[in-house]
Amino acid sequence: MSSKMQASQAGQALWSKMPKANAELFALTYGSLVTELVRDYEDPIEVNAQLDRIGHSIGVRCVDELLSKADVAGMGLATQCQNLRDTAEVVAKVGFKMFLGVQAEVGGFSQDQRSFSIYLQDNPLATFVELPAAGDEQYNGDDLRKLKYSNLYCGVIRGALEQVNLKVECNIVRDTLKGDEVNEIRVELKEVLADGAGDDYKEE
Amino acid sequence: MSRSSSNNILDRPLGRVGGRSTDTTFVSLSAFAYIYSELVQYHQSRAASVSELERRLESAGYGVGLKVLEMTAYRTKEMKREIRLMSILHFVSSSVWKSLFGRSADSLERSIDHADEYMIIDYEPIASTFVSVPTDLGQLSADAYVSGIIAGVLDGAGFAARVTAHNVKLEEGERQGGGSGSGGGAGGNAVPGIPPRKNKAVFLVKFSPEVLSRDAALER
Repeated sequence: MSSKMQASQAGQALWSKMPKANAELFALTYGSLVTELVRDYEDPIEVNAQLDRIGHSIGVRCVDELLSKADVAGMGLATQCQNLRDTAEVVAKVGFKMFLGVQAEVGGFSQDQRSFSIYLQDNPLATFVELPAAGDEQYNGDDLRKLKYSNLYCGVIRGALEQVNLKVECNIVRDTLKGDEVNEIRVELKEVLADGAGDDYKEE
Repeated sequence: MSRSSSNNILDRPLGRVGGRSTDTTFVSLSAFAYIYSELVQYHQSRAASVSELERRLESAGYGVGLKVLEMTAYRTKEMKREIRLMSILHFVSSSVWKSLFGRSADSLERSIDHADEYMIIDYEPIASTFVSVPTDLGQLSADAYVSGIIAGVLDGAGFAARVTAHNVKLEEGERQGGGSGSGGGAGGNAVPGIPPRKNKAVFLVKFSPEVLSRDAALER
């Protein structure tokens, strides 16, 4: 199947057409949001939950942008996603590329084909970021190690896939900010939802 | 920029010395707009009034401004520190603007009525690209975040100032040949498909008295 090739080409084509903004401004803006959350909620676990919520709200909207722009460009991604493998390819190669300009890779499919990982070498959210070291008392290092700085991604993926009837759970399992070699987001399919348009919207 | 080789942020390269714009890394404007919209929504949910919301956005930008000052200053070739009022304003409206928004501010003007007030004008402010302010929020300027950044830069450089953002209606015939709206991406963030703007952003910079007296002393 050639979907691997197609997805990354589609991602590149869409990315080249997107109006751009400075990645540093983007990173700093996200940073100021996260610091505000850390100040307001104090508990890093709660901050993670808030970031996931915020991401979800972005996800439900950006999936629209992705599908409509892909449609205008004649890529017909909606029909291309026949299984979770295809969907994963589109999320990583089209989604991440189109919005953030970075290449993400897909891998680590489970035996039952219901979960996979997205690997991200460069994380545009975390430019300039350093988490305090474990045991750093002055900056509350032990506590802040629990912070998933880039948890926004999980929310975005969850929100975006929810709109196409895939209920998933996302988790950041590896994080370069914590010394891992790569950022890894684990996505697990929980349920394929029934078609969203309820009876209210059906024609009489 | 590979981050895997080194975990210490101070060992990483700071990127583009001299500010060649070809090396700049980008994300999509949409991605920025999504994040910014969430930032505004978050602060809106915690602010009781329009002015409090603007103040919150300003303080969110302030910290960014301090960092931007440092970053931009290190990247300029001369590593020069600006000590005069006019040069710091030029620094903000050209260097800082270029590094953040990919182009200079549209103009820098001195207030006629007040000697301590300057205006930086931007016809296509990035923060409010996709923003339409509902009537119940009246005078809200979604660019308050940017005014916070300016305040952070100025304060960090030792020029204490109060910076506020204002939406000002474009006058008839103003901004000719600017190619707003569908004019292509030359301006950095002119977005095809959205109507031309009716407002410009005016960032009003009001310097503290001690800054002005210091600058007057340097004049001699």
